[in-house]
Amino acid sequence: MSDPLGLTTQALAAIGQARTDEELEKVEVEYLGRKSGHVSRLLSNIGSLPPAEKAALGKAANDAKRAIEAALAARRAELEAARLADLAETEAIDMTFPGPPLKRGHIHVLTQVRREIETVLESLGYKVELGPEVETEWYNFEALNIPAGHPAREAWDSFYFSPELLLRAHTSPVQIRAMQRIKEPPIYIINPGRAYRRDPPEATRLPYFSQVEGLAVDKGLTVGDLKGTLLYMIQSLYGRDRKVRVRPSYFPFTEPSFEFDVSCGICGGMGCKSCRHKGWLEVGGCGMVHPQVLRNGGIDPTRWNGYAWGFGIERMAMLKHDVDDIRLFYESDLRFLEQF
Amino acid sequence: MRISYEWLSDFVDLDGVTPKEAAEILTRQGIEVESLTIVDLSQIVIGKVLEQKPHPKSRNPLWIHQVDLGGRVEQIIAGAPNAVAGSIVPVALPGTAVPNGKVVKDMNIAGERAHGMLASAAELMLGDDHSGILVLDRGIPGDPLTTVIPSQAIMEAEVTSNRPDCMGHLGVARELGAGLQRPLKRDFMPAFTGGADPPGREMVKVTIDDPDLCSRYIGGVITGVKVGPSPDWMQRRLRAAGVRPINNIVDITNYVLLEYAQPLHAFDLALLSGPAIEVRRARANEKLLSLDGVVRDLTADMLVIADAKRPVALAGVIGGEDTAVSDETKDILLESANFNGPSVRQTSRALGLRTEASARFERALPPELALAGARRAASLIAELAGGKVHRDWADVYPRPQEPVRVNLRPALIDEVLGMHVPLEDSEAILKRLNFQVNVMADGEWDVLPPVFRLDVTIPEDLVEEVGRVYGYDKVPPTLPGRRHDSWTPLEPSIDRRLDQVREVLAGEGFTETWNPALVSGKELERLRIAAHAMRVENALSDDMDTLRTSLLPSLVHAVAVNRDRGRDEVRVYEIASAYLARVGEKNAQPDEPLRVAAVGTTDGSPDAGEKALRRLKSVLDGCVAALNGPASAYQRAAAELFHPGRCAAVVLDGRQLGYLGELHPTVTSGAGLEGRLVAFEIDLLPVLAASSVPRAQPLPRFPAVDRDLAVVVDESVTAGALLQGIKESGGDLLVHARAFDEYRGAQVPEGQKSIAFTLTFRSPERTLTDAEVDRVMAEIRLGLEKRHGARFRE
Repeated sequence: MSDPLGLTTQALAAIGQARTDEELEKVEVEYLGRKSGHVSRLLSNIGSLPPAEKAALGKAANDAKRAIEAALAARRAELEAARLADLAETEAIDMTFPGPPLKRGHIHVLTQVRREIETVLESLGYKVELGPEVETEWYNFEALNIPAGHPAREAWDSFYFSPELLLRAHTSPVQIRAMQRIKEPPIYIINPGRAYRRDPPEATRLPYFSQVEGLAVDKGLTVGDLKGTLLYMIQSLYGRDRKVRVRPSYFPFTEPSFEFDVSCGICGGMGCKSCRHKGWLEVGGCGMVHPQVLRNGGIDPTRWNGYAWGFGIERMAMLKHDVDDIRLFYESDLRFLEQF
Repeated sequence: MRISYEWLSDFVDLDGVTPKEAAEILTRQGIEVESLTIVDLSQIVIGKVLEQKPHPKSRNPLWIHQVDLGGRVEQIIAGAPNAVAGSIVPVALPGTAVPNGKVVKDMNIAGERAHGMLASAAELMLGDDHSGILVLDRGIPGDPLTTVIPSQAIMEAEVTSNRPDCMGHLGVARELGAGLQRPLKRDFMPAFTGGADPPGREMVKVTIDDPDLCSRYIGGVITGVKVGPSPDWMQRRLRAAGVRPINNIVDITNYVLLEYAQPLHAFDLALLSGPAIEVRRARANEKLLSLDGVVRDLTADMLVIADAKRPVALAGVIGGEDTAVSDETKDILLESANFNGPSVRQTSRALGLRTEASARFERALPPELALAGARRAASLIAELAGGKVHRDWADVYPRPQEPVRVNLRPALIDEVLGMHVPLEDSEAILKRLNFQVNVMADGEWDVLPPVFRLDVTIPEDLVEEVGRVYGYDKVPPTLPGRRHDSWTPLEPSIDRRLDQVREVLAGEGFTETWNPALVSGKELERLRIAAHAMRVENALSDDMDTLRTSLLPSLVHAVAVNRDRGRDEVRVYEIASAYLARVGEKNAQPDEPLRVAAVGTTDGSPDAGEKALRRLKSVLDGCVAALNGPASAYQRAAAELFHPGRCAAVVLDGRQLGYLGELHPTVTSGAGLEGRLVAFEIDLLPVLAASSVPRAQPLPRFPAVDRDLAVVVDESVTAGALLQGIKESGGDLLVHARAFDEYRGAQVPEGQKSIAFTLTFRSPERTLTDAEVDRVMAEIRLGLEKRHGARFRE
């Protein structure tokens, strides 16, 4: 076969009939293959022709090659478009079939809640301070204005190793240590950590628990600032519709002292079963730091004042995630831990 | 404390104030009302028992009553025998509900009609007494019970330990009056009513041995009393407050306790030998038969009231039976004293006996209260039990209460609260709470707290008084903010940094746990890790009497908990402190190293254990890498809790961090577990200290060449040793080397193994040729051959 036009016609017909990439590939090799393709052979024979024919045939052969290449490209595009158009049928799989289980470990819900609390308070400029869990009597009680024989000691029944050494009953000793170390206010710190009280385990309390306490020492701090800080924290954690109430109470280390409550998230404060018809959920204690406590921390109460608060991380987690038994946090039951 | 709303109205006008509103005011001011019980008596009618006879057929003893209900007579059956003919009783007819919730039905009991019920005090929620029918001292049959007993509201309130004055109705009413801006109808100090001769102090000699434990003792003499039941209204109020009526004298002492918060005690004067009162510590072997019928062994740290011969009461806790007021009593000695709080608490704890009196003394009562209580009780006794109150009582008062004055700069109120309180409002609040306020020339206030408020000593205390009555709700929430000229830059907290570790572990399927730090000391001993354990002196129970020295037993326990619940594969970890006593240092705080520990399960075969251990090693490396710590080394080691052949010390920069390995088979089986457990536990603070910020390295410009090397050596040669040899011979061109496979079998001689390494070579300056790499590989082979007698496969 030596007629370029004829070859072109033949090739275009073959291309038109090709149904797959492989068939097209075969046509391409047959006509354009480097050594044995019809068009290539035509071109390789040109050298032996007289010059006059050479030019004409050369042009015709190159035209044929370009036409075949163009047709191949067009047909390929057509076939690809058709293949893509049919994907919905040709490659369909059962999308309802589940994937293999992911062996993802879970971060403890108390870690998660503590992290949220820390993040919120760090955004207000508070810094995390830590301290020892086995504390001296002085840091745990005396420095916090709770001398031996003080009736309020009843509330902090503690585990002792010796008359001088005990498991801290709250994380407040960290505040004294921080004041002593930092010396010069402003001081804005939070102290998360474990604490211990001699209460038998039950659904609402354990002899071991975790707290986050906060302390601000600065110039001219007010009860309003304390309320605002708590409100900012609670709204950041639970949503902006929550309200905070401070109720007078008594702690030896603050004056005035308060309990602080959060409006019930279920009834919005109207009173329901979940809040025992009070409309409020008790969260923690707070107050303006007692001048003697500042003095014990080495801070001059005539120049500086402060506020402090504390609450249980477990309590916050229970409120946030509707957990009704505090013991679940410490039982390491994966069926519980994997819910968070 | 139980507060009767109706009782409060003795002291403050509650017109138009519902019990709920009163409870809200009290809660807002700091006396938290935890529950409010409304006792509606309007459906109960008064009946008069005409006839009482035993039920003829019933197996249990029952009584059939014919009860006059004013114009009609009904038959009512009761189990208690005390509604004898003539008794006036409360009756609940069928279809009504008694206040405790019981619905009354028309019944037939063993053939006898029972139309309604006779109610006990407990059923009417007028007290805890359900032993018999409540018998009234007056009332007209057919009238509603509310004609003699008003409907009640009982508040259960939490009084904070600084406010013993609010352990009585008068104090609570004062708070309510301040909140309502209504005057208190009663002065704190009643007038003295005694005038009889001879003077009381000549009739009983009172001495105080230990003035530190008893700062005041008033002994009032009242002669010629007539002991009998107290009036109905008094019994009712006592019951409402949870106190059982006894007789008029004892009831009056209890009544005044519930009114003023001052505990009182009445002795039968004729039974006191001397008659003398000595307040002293108990002596060796002394005993006391207390009013609750128990013989108490006394110890020298207990304060007693003694007569000339023996103890007759435990100071501030309970009286003695032998000298108690009885129906025969004619003359009494009325004790109103002040005892040291911690001493009373100690005695009450030692005896396991908490009384209304001890609960008040524990909170440190003001000595001035003793006089008010004594006067009030004496006048009630004279009024309700007859008797002559003698003049000039014994009042031994070795430690007179110091008057307190507080100087207040009134602007402090606004400064602390963060809102403006008008001065006249602040002054009015303080005055309603019985503080005296004198405004001085410089504008400061000289404030004299009432004698019953020992808790107020500094200006901030006065701010609190104003704030809580004015209303903290009114304080606008603000965020603090002023220009700061100094600060501490924020550093990520340790816990935030450790979140990187949590992520690595979570990705590997490990779940974080929080376990109690208090564990069983016996268990630590059994595991032989008790050497540095700290034991609690006053543990709640044996299973939490010691601080853990390792997190691993807690995690093994966590595995067991989850196996018990049907989970086979368990991976758990914890980040927490261990507690290690400093041996030899008394009263030193222990080391509290912060650690991460992980435990994973695998099946029982040695191969499975080895495979799981290798994986865990990568996890631990990943944790350290996530903290940007340097790579740690592993050195074969022996450690408690670990398998003797499968344990490595984890070493970072030459410092031992902890261990990784399989747990010892006895640890696993000791926890009742099958299969093998792999675990690690390391100290975290050294890793954090060694961590550094990653610095970017220039990206390689020339390609790397990878070669594998299979080394056949004796079993005793470790991969670590071979790797070290490879690195030494590899020179600068060897940029990475790692063992990836271990083989024993047909192609390797008995007693030997083949370890395959993958090596990466690269030059920062040029593309390496095969010949160059071949030369280095030959060096490496030579080195391994010489040092470890290694041979090479392929």
